[in-house]
Amino acid sequence: MKKKLVSALLVSTMAVSAFVGCGAAAEETPAADSTETTEETAEASTEDAIANLIAATEGTVNIDLWCSETEEYQTVMKKLCDDFAAQYPDVDFNITLGAVSEADMKDRVLEDVEAAADVFIFPDDQLEALVKAGALNEVAAQYTYDMNETDTPATVEAAQYDGKQYGYPFTASNGYFLYYDKNQLSDEDVASWEALTAKAEELGKEVGCETANGWYLYGFFKGAGCNLTENEDQSNNCDWNNETGLAAAEALQEIASSKAYKSYGNDDLLANLNDGKVVAYVSGTWNVNAFSEAYGDGYAATKLPTFKVNGEDKQMASYSGYKFVGVNAYAENTGWSMLLAEYLTNATSQEAVYEATGEGPSNTEALAKASSPALDALAAQSEFAELQRVGGNYWTPAESLGKNILEGKVSQQVLDDAVAGITQPVE
Amino acid sequence: MKKIGNYFKDFGQAIAHGDIWVKLSLIIMGAGYFGRKQIMRGILMTLLQVGVLASIFGVFAPYMSKLNTLGTVQREEIFDIVTMKKTVNNYDNSLLILLYGIIGILVIIAFIALYIGNIKATYRLQKMQENGEKLNTFVDDIVSFKNERFHITLLTLPSLGVILINIIPILFMVCIAFTNYDENHQPPTYLFTWVGIKNFVNLFTTSQTITFGYAFVRVLIWTLIWAVLATATTFLGGILLAQFINHEDTKFKGMWRTLFVITIGIPQFVTLLLISKMFGDNGIVNTFCSNVGILDFFKNIGLLNAADSFIPFLSRPGWAHVTIILVNIWVGIPYQMLVATGILMNIPSDQIESAKIDGANKFQIFWKITMPYVLFITGPSLIQSVIANINNFNVIYLLTYNYKTTNMAMANSHANEVDLLITWLFRLTNEYSNFKMASVIGIVTFVVCAALSLLTFSRMIGGDKEGVYR
Repeated sequence: MKKKLVSALLVSTMAVSAFVGCGAAAEETPAADSTETTEETAEASTEDAIANLIAATEGTVNIDLWCSETEEYQTVMKKLCDDFAAQYPDVDFNITLGAVSEADMKDRVLEDVEAAADVFIFPDDQLEALVKAGALNEVAAQYTYDMNETDTPATVEAAQYDGKQYGYPFTASNGYFLYYDKNQLSDEDVASWEALTAKAEELGKEVGCETANGWYLYGFFKGAGCNLTENEDQSNNCDWNNETGLAAAEALQEIASSKAYKSYGNDDLLANLNDGKVVAYVSGTWNVNAFSEAYGDGYAATKLPTFKVNGEDKQMASYSGYKFVGVNAYAENTGWSMLLAEYLTNATSQEAVYEATGEGPSNTEALAKASSPALDALAAQSEFAELQRVGGNYWTPAESLGKNILEGKVSQQVLDDAVAGITQPVE
Repeated sequence: MKKIGNYFKDFGQAIAHGDIWVKLSLIIMGAGYFGRKQIMRGILMTLLQVGVLASIFGVFAPYMSKLNTLGTVQREEIFDIVTMKKTVNNYDNSLLILLYGIIGILVIIAFIALYIGNIKATYRLQKMQENGEKLNTFVDDIVSFKNERFHITLLTLPSLGVILINIIPILFMVCIAFTNYDENHQPPTYLFTWVGIKNFVNLFTTSQTITFGYAFVRVLIWTLIWAVLATATTFLGGILLAQFINHEDTKFKGMWRTLFVITIGIPQFVTLLLISKMFGDNGIVNTFCSNVGILDFFKNIGLLNAADSFIPFLSRPGWAHVTIILVNIWVGIPYQMLVATGILMNIPSDQIESAKIDGANKFQIFWKITMPYVLFITGPSLIQSVIANINNFNVIYLLTYNYKTTNMAMANSHANEVDLLITWLFRLTNEYSNFKMASVIGIVTFVVCAALSLLTFSRMIGGDKEGVYR
């Protein structure tokens, strides 16, 4: 319970006990005693801290909250904010909801950090840029729950940077997997890209993955056994131009050359999905409603297919995706903003969000109650999913590489140039 | 040079030959007026002096003193977990230092000019008094702003506006180009600092990892081609269209004109986004083309590979360039038609009549009389529209925001083949927070535009072109 706070206080106690230890070894027992007492006071002081905060608060507390513009989000967030305000009847809250698309959250916040929302919900791939710009408040302590105990370790870790916690885990379902229509495709068909494209060609339908996008492209190269990691200075290490990389690129090029294979952006995907052309596609929970409506009782989802590299079946990997609630480092009321962020990410709130949006909770208790084909598919994919840690120079070269693969222009030279761009030094 | 010399010579003379009041106004700027019983003017001048000095020392000096480093103290915060309050150190904000530093310098320059002018004015007053001329009262001064000094009244607001929204931002942008303001150095949390001409060197460098030089040349060439082609095609098209509508045999002239003007009525934003969807790789135009066999036709004549499953209207270099220009013709012609209609109606009919009598046919009349006349009238606005097209963000960005390049060297500097300098700049700032390179590109764009307009304007308007035409 309240581990962060405890550990912070422990550090100071240990400093004291270290001095004590210098003086005389015999006095070790009292030092240990004092640790215990601190722990008790620590528990009391979380409530004290909130009580102090309430006492120290004068006038209206203004908090801006930015979250996704979708109706589901806006409705459920409105309700949660009202519930939060109702918890503290002595304080007058003015919580304003803003609608900002999650993909643009980083850009909007960084436009003017000081004027941006106090609390905002963002996907994990923006964490690094936000931390780099100094826009996120470190989660130095927690008051109403301890995420290390209530949330899955992977999500807590994903919200850390340089060993510091910067975000409150919110959802754990922002990765990608394969949606398919089980009335038209069998389990064997969706097991590998080769089978999938062959079957789709036979049916005269479409399958695919947005290949000209670094986020998805990573899955193929990682699955083949290539690596992409980030250095401390935000430049990247990438070995996609080695033999395996070339083989993977050629294999993907071979798959993409199928008439049935498409690389749609989200808009085109939705349009063609509604036309009934797309029978299987790599996407995520944000499209869960579109796919379930389009496929009706054939709606199904599974882990990503395998693909053949050098004659060997390789499981396509993926980025696991999370959403976090972040507190602005320049928030007007840091204390209340942190409490709101905690409230929005606790077990009951996550459950409410799951029910409203279908997004999988990061809280283990809420996750246990959640079940859907999409979340099961994500769980199946999770062992092949990696946390996204990649420097900003990755995206444009990767997008261009994906486009080259789609156009059948793969060569050692293209891969060399792409790797040069991805690994270019950061000043 | 001589003018500058005289400027300071007058100043020296004023101090040397001025009486006690002039010399006093070296310290108290209103003194020269108090001595001549211009109390109100003296008070205002002194108040102005106090205000400006107070703002320089009170507001700008702290920033200006840090201009050389752009700040050294980075933001640090300590969160007290018990009181839930945050304490933040007194940190430097590089952006504000730069901005207030520039404004401060401008204020000082303006103040020095005011100071020198003030001494001269008080000396002039002394002379007028010695010569026994009437000195203006405060009421006279006020009245003069309505009469002989009316131009000052009129120009104050516009020149303030120019300084505020043109000069300060331009200076600011120029300065940013010499700093390392990028995603790793973002104020207010982090500091940025001066790096000299490194960014300019980068813009003209081409290596495997730094491809700005490679991308820059290609983007610049396409920008210029685009600007000239876009202007020329819409201009010619507009005149021809206006000519057709104006033709004596055309019926329902009003209706035709209205039809074309309706395209102006729909916001460009909407039309362009719609067109970019329609011409997309999976858009409605592509579906149509593959259904009626145009796709196969293109394959047969070798414009497309056999493996292509769509026409890359907006997704492959060459194709995209042509589509952009064609779409721009469609979007831009109605404007030019309106302009041309007005001009065509005013062509002196005597010239056309006499040409007809001399036996000139319609084409000769169009090329020898109508075109030179229209060109002469619209010359300056044509140059202006070339400049506007260099910075034509809307058409390019809205049509190609989905464009993905296959050219790795372009991609490595976040550019693509259909980027104009301005869309490239936008992507660098908006998506990559690379403000330093964006500023460098901004400066280059500015230089290109300035050079182009200076060159063409001096050629077109300079000399006695008017006489030649008449």
